[in-house]
Amino acid sequence: MTNLRKPGFVLGLIIIALAIVASLAPQLLATHDPFESVATDRLLPPSAQYLFGTDNLGRDLYSRVIYGAALSLLSASLAVVVGVVVGAVVGLISGFVGGRTDFIIMRFVDVLIAVPGVLLALIVVASLGFGPVSLALGVGLGAAGSFARVMRSQVLRIRSEEYVEAARTLGVRSPAILVQHVLPNAARPVIAMAALELGTAILSVSALTFLGFGAPPPAPEWGALVSAGRDYVATNPGLSIIPGAVILVVVLAVNRVARSIGGDE
Amino acid sequence: MIEHGSGAKVGSGANAVDEHTTEVDDNILVVRDLHVSYATRSGSVAAVRGISFVVPRGKIVAIVGESGSGKSTTSQALIRRLASGGRIDSGSIEFEGRDLGPMSERELRSIRGGRIGFVPQDPSKSLNPLMRVGDQIAEALRLHLKLSKAEAATEAVRILAEVGLPDPDARATQFPHELSGGMRQRVLIGIAWACNPQLVIADEPTSALDVTVQRHVLDNIDELVRRHNTSVVLVTHDLAVAADRADYVAVMSNGEIVEQGTTEQVLSAPTHEYTKKLVESAPGLASKRLTPSLTVLGEQQQSSAGKLFTHTRPAQPAGSSTASGAVAASAASSGADAAEATNILEVSNLVKTFALRRQGGGSQVLRAVDDVSFVVPRGSTFSIVGESGSGKTTTARIAARIASADSGTVSFDGTDVTSLSGEALRQLRRRVQVVYQNPFGSLDPKMSIEKIIAEPLRAFRVGDRTHRAEVARELLEHVSLSPTLAQRRPTELSGGQRQRVAIARSLAIGPELIVLDEPVSALDVSVQEQILQLLVDLQVQFGLSYLFISHDLGVIRQISDHIAVMRSGKVLEAGTAHDVMSNPQHEYTRELLEAIPGQRAK
Amino acid sequence: MTQVKAWAGYLLPKLGQFLFVVVATYTLVFVLVHFLPGDPLIAALAAKGGASTVIDPAELDALRVQYGLDGSLWQQYFGHLIAAAQGDLGVSISTGVPVTEMIARAFPFSVQIASLALLFGVTSAVLITFLAYAAPWPWLRQLLLQIPPFGIAVPAFLSGLLLISVFAFSLGWLPSAGARSFDAAILPAITLALPVGALFFQVFSSAVLEAQNSPYVFTAVAKGVPPRRIFTKHLLRNAMLPSITILGLLIGYLAGGTAVVETVFSRDGIGRMTVNAVLARDINVIQGVVLLVGAIYALVNLLVDVAYGFIDPRTRIGGGIPSRARLGAKK
Repeated sequence: MTNLRKPGFVLGLIIIALAIVASLAPQLLATHDPFESVATDRLLPPSAQYLFGTDNLGRDLYSRVIYGAALSLLSASLAVVVGVVVGAVVGLISGFVGGRTDFIIMRFVDVLIAVPGVLLALIVVASLGFGPVSLALGVGLGAAGSFARVMRSQVLRIRSEEYVEAARTLGVRSPAILVQHVLPNAARPVIAMAALELGTAILSVSALTFLGFGAPPPAPEWGALVSAGRDYVATNPGLSIIPGAVILVVVLAVNRVARSIGGDE
Repeated sequence: MIEHGSGAKVGSGANAVDEHTTEVDDNILVVRDLHVSYATRSGSVAAVRGISFVVPRGKIVAIVGESGSGKSTTSQALIRRLASGGRIDSGSIEFEGRDLGPMSERELRSIRGGRIGFVPQDPSKSLNPLMRVGDQIAEALRLHLKLSKAEAATEAVRILAEVGLPDPDARATQFPHELSGGMRQRVLIGIAWACNPQLVIADEPTSALDVTVQRHVLDNIDELVRRHNTSVVLVTHDLAVAADRADYVAVMSNGEIVEQGTTEQVLSAPTHEYTKKLVESAPGLASKRLTPSLTVLGEQQQSSAGKLFTHTRPAQPAGSSTASGAVAASAASSGADAAEATNILEVSNLVKTFALRRQGGGSQVLRAVDDVSFVVPRGSTFSIVGESGSGKTTTARIAARIASADSGTVSFDGTDVTSLSGEALRQLRRRVQVVYQNPFGSLDPKMSIEKIIAEPLRAFRVGDRTHRAEVARELLEHVSLSPTLAQRRPTELSGGQRQRVAIARSLAIGPELIVLDEPVSALDVSVQEQILQLLVDLQVQFGLSYLFISHDLGVIRQISDHIAVMRSGKVLEAGTAHDVMSNPQHEYTRELLEAIPGQRAK
Repeated sequence: MTQVKAWAGYLLPKLGQFLFVVVATYTLVFVLVHFLPGDPLIAALAAKGGASTVIDPAELDALRVQYGLDGSLWQQYFGHLIAAAQGDLGVSISTGVPVTEMIARAFPFSVQIASLALLFGVTSAVLITFLAYAAPWPWLRQLLLQIPPFGIAVPAFLSGLLLISVFAFSLGWLPSAGARSFDAAILPAITLALPVGALFFQVFSSAVLEAQNSPYVFTAVAKGVPPRRIFTKHLLRNAMLPSITILGLLIGYLAGGTAVVETVFSRDGIGRMTVNAVLARDINVIQGVVLLVGAIYALVNLLVDVAYGFIDPRTRIGGGIPSRARLGAKK
């Protein structure tokens, strides 16, 4: 892997690893109980004791960010899984079967793409109710359309490759062509896109939790943390800007790694 | 006046240039010990390694080399515009006595297009698709000759007329996509000559064109050279083109000029090994029917029963399994006699039309294949020759049952296979295989060579995994590749090696007929001949019949027993290779034969 | 005459496509709203009055009629569709105001920041691309090319809050909230421009980069054309072709982005209205907004298609594609 020699890629991997640890075992990284209020330590600036400072209820912001990773990242990951599974399957069928099936499926996909992902997510959230799972479903559905399109175009590209026609003239059956030629060659671009989509999903999920559609208040979701700090932006800007910056760093890391997977550089 | 740098590694031909230069002493361009390299991730790679040559005023100097020889890099270095990462490390390029190396970009710009013209390689991509062709010529005129808008437009039309475009007034207002490839190349030539430059660099100006068009375009360049007394650096992979057009030839290999001198010297008495090989293998120059190499003939007499993959052959129709060997032998000894044997493939009255949809409604029907009939005698090679758009590839695809015809029949070994489908069609693949033009596209980049070659065996459930691996290795040997390549990926192989893999794959299931669609046109000439020789050898070894498609009569001549000439979907002429080549009946066939470069060298 | 016919032949299918997308968007929203679990009206009333709201069935039926949620699904589907075609998008469940009216009131505010954002975003993307193209040093080029991936990764609420805390609170140059003055539109527009410009940049810069390595640019260089003219005459138009096709996509981004940005800047507009509608689970308003955005998206795509015909002679009306080119491509 030549990627491992690139500092940006390695840094990205480290950040992602930390984010995963924070999601699965937050107690390893946290320094305080994220829900414990210390009435005397309200709105403190960052210090050795409170790495990111404290919020208006005197809770440790750093530990809240760490504990928030699980909700934020898991619903983003779930969204990508929904998007990839639905989109990839639809795109694969559409591209490989072709003809009228393809035409009809792609018209549906056109519509999924016509509605902006955030709005689609909002409809789902408004219908299903608020919370991380409906957020994930909404964001995933919003991404499914473009996944279907990418998958289909990959399948079409590969199908028109000479080696696929060659395989056919060698007497290879269609299912075998799909498994032996189309899937292996389509995998990398689709995985790269899924990785890139993870970054977008983190942004979408945090935007929606920022708007208040996530888990109810005490839950330390990243977007909700930023939203909660908004009222203190004039006096304690760090309260929203630090969690916001954490989101930025994680998204940058994910995108950087995704681009390397895609072989962009 | 020209002292070739002491370090310059020029062959003995360099003397010729020295002699010449002392005689005339009027060189428009003097290149001394030029080194060019490209920065890549794994360090710097030398592309041009110390070349020296001169271009006398009013003469054409050809730089000949195969892909990767550094010839295109050289042409780009001459106007100091290298692809990204490229840089001139040392040496000098003196144009009219001034070194271009230390010149400022601004100064260079006044030379580029003004005093040095450039004819690029690919006419389909070298014109701005969104700009009218007249404007693209006028742009150069306005920049260098400071003409007014109206003057430049008038002059552009005159130039279009000069480069031989019919109806230049109307053409000037058209966009590149409305012109044919040949016309676009004429426009590019017009741009190069627009400001009456002293020197024009032509980088493979005709390699993307059909052979008859190539001839007209090269004639046009000749004419411009004579009229304007321009000097030309003609970069080409085709020794025959150089032979026809150039006064001097420099042969490049691996970034060095291995031999240079007057065209006659280099072609008639090549001194360097590489040049000799190149001269021998150039198909246009001196091609004749290849004969199976002796080792193969000897092997043929021994039993080939020990070969693993011959077991995989399907049971052949009564009598044919013994017949095919005999026919193959006779076909090899004299191809013409093979017509008496049974025909492996008979194609009659094929018609294939395409509906071309036009913008804004309405459609036009194109008869891509128009009432085509021919037979391929067993054990022989039947070739279809034609230029782009002739319908030869479509015909071959129908014959191989990849595409279907609108009407007409294809019968294989006496059985009508025109409407086979599903499993029956798949079973036909055991007996008919295809080798494609592009060895980079026809092999799945994710598969190992072994898997690629064994794919037909797996598709037909022949043998187990270890057996298939053994067969693949054996096939690699048959196509003269080392079995150690078995675990490599196609991207790690050269073009010629890949095409050998594709041939090995087509042999795996033991077919009787192989359809070869331009199998060598993507390869360098020296590799072309090796592949053709391999095909000829395999034909005898395995009693194969070939349907061979090519645009190149030089290649066709080397391998065919029978030839059909196609144009606009129709077969104009068909017959034995000897008859068609030596006594062409149709006007177009004669034109094709005359257009083969390398006539002057004969 | 033939010209008219050619135009009709070109435009009619695209117009059909436009209508299809609008109707299909409506259908999609309808299906999602009515087939996902839960009764939209009860959810909305619960959101309005709290979880313990108890409504008597007769009153509920009356409310259903009032909000157009009565009758069979088919009746609702076609009834709403016909009403929508006539400009009637129903009545908001939470406020009781007609949705069309709400949209008409909020729309201009959103259009203001969205068009400003589009302008900022596209101009700076073209500018950065040109600077990177003309940069004499590779490091500067690399640095410039790093800006857009950054722009895509920044959450809009973060950039918005940062802008507020710097330009509104620390420097006091611009207002932090409101929608009444032009000043107040600047910070939200910049916030929105960031992801939109970055998205446009991705497509545009790679198109420029591709065009830059293309043979026709080599031809231009060999002609002696200076770099700035190469950029304007040869690169720009060619790179615009693939870039304008994503304009529709950008509209979608803008629509989603206004929800966050208008909330951050406490501005009136479609986005904030939608957020409030979702909080109140006011399905009629959401439906209306989505239909509006879908229609704008389809309209932009229609315009892009037509613009394409003007910019690219290869798709120009009446020109026709020479058969050779088509055939060659097929091979």
